[in-house]
Amino acid sequence: MENKPLSPHIQIYKWHISSLVSISHRITGIINILAITLMCIWFALILLGESNYEIIKIFLQTFVGKFILIGITWSFSFQMLSEIRHLIMDFGYGFDLKITKITGLLVIFGSLILTILIYLIGRGLN
Amino acid sequence: MVQISLPKNSEVKKGKYFKDKTGSKNLRKVNIYRWDPSTGDNPRIDTYEVDMDNCPSKVLDILNKIKNEIDSTLAYRRSCAHGVCGSCAMNMGGKNGLACTTPHAEIDGDIDIYPLPHLKVKRDLIGDLDGLYKQYQSIEPWLKNNSTKQTTEIYQSKEDRAKLDGAYECIMCACCSTSCPSYWWNGDKYLGPAVLLQAYRWIIDSRDEERKARLKKVADEFKLYRCHTILNCTNACPKGLNPAKAIAEIKKMLATANV
Repeated sequence: MENKPLSPHIQIYKWHISSLVSISHRITGIINILAITLMCIWFALILLGESNYEIIKIFLQTFVGKFILIGITWSFSFQMLSEIRHLIMDFGYGFDLKITKITGLLVIFGSLILTILIYLIGRGLN
Repeated sequence: MVQISLPKNSEVKKGKYFKDKTGSKNLRKVNIYRWDPSTGDNPRIDTYEVDMDNCPSKVLDILNKIKNEIDSTLAYRRSCAHGVCGSCAMNMGGKNGLACTTPHAEIDGDIDIYPLPHLKVKRDLIGDLDGLYKQYQSIEPWLKNNSTKQTTEIYQSKEDRAKLDGAYECIMCACCSTSCPSYWWNGDKYLGPAVLLQAYRWIIDSRDEERKARLKKVADEFKLYRCHTILNCTNACPKGLNPAKAIAEIKKMLATANV
């Protein structure tokens, strides 16, 4: 019988903090690559002319523009904190189930707090 | 390859409904994955109403009750019923574990029971673990000592023996490996947490003389480094072991030792 079915996997498996942080780490990683590419294009456009700068500025002040900026800020914050968590794990620490939960929560809430902080600092500088 | 959806022949359909016949007021619905190899049908979910007033505390007790009293066609593996043999590993309430040590009181709502994830199903709750056993064989899980003259025991200090704690207790139930998304997507090449924990167990054994060769053998982009510390394995282990930490230790040894 070679028609054996494959048992359900991701459809049924329960999520927990570590797996959520892990998948988010990957997703934010992809977002960051796109974000860096986007930023490079912005900078290149600025080099090409002053009027481009104005257009980008107007775009970034729209709702969508702000959403993208804040989204990127969160994505970078998350990636950074999660990477620190992985770095600590690479040293062989923090594998206790309770600790993985705590560090996972720290990454999630820390990234939100960091986003707000960066936003406020940015506004202060403006 | 990452394939999120199930192949066509594996899509789960709605199955039969077994209404309670005992007249009990304390009922729970139990949804069980069923697949009969003798028909060409897709797998289905059968629902059983189980009288919880006359059912002991573990999920395996529910399965036994269903098999004995409601539907004798249900197939599942079990043997010791004490969390020692590892036969009754399955997915209950979305988490892998041993049916004989998982209390059904810990599962909220209806009790969903599936075979271990991402395996070829042989029948109902029985998954095909041949691939995992082959991988286990590939790490050569036995003591390797090259001296032919030694006729006495090989001594081991208490400290060296203590290093094996947390690794030798593994019962190879496959709860961890089949909980691991990396193992789902790359199970043909990635060794998976269960086998890597055993690889670690032999690497750190002070009596073993093939430490370097063993390390070299697992130092592979796919065999070892598909572990991305998702930690589903440690969360799933019914014996409270920590395969993720063992894998991290192997990676650390490879990063620091001159292999």
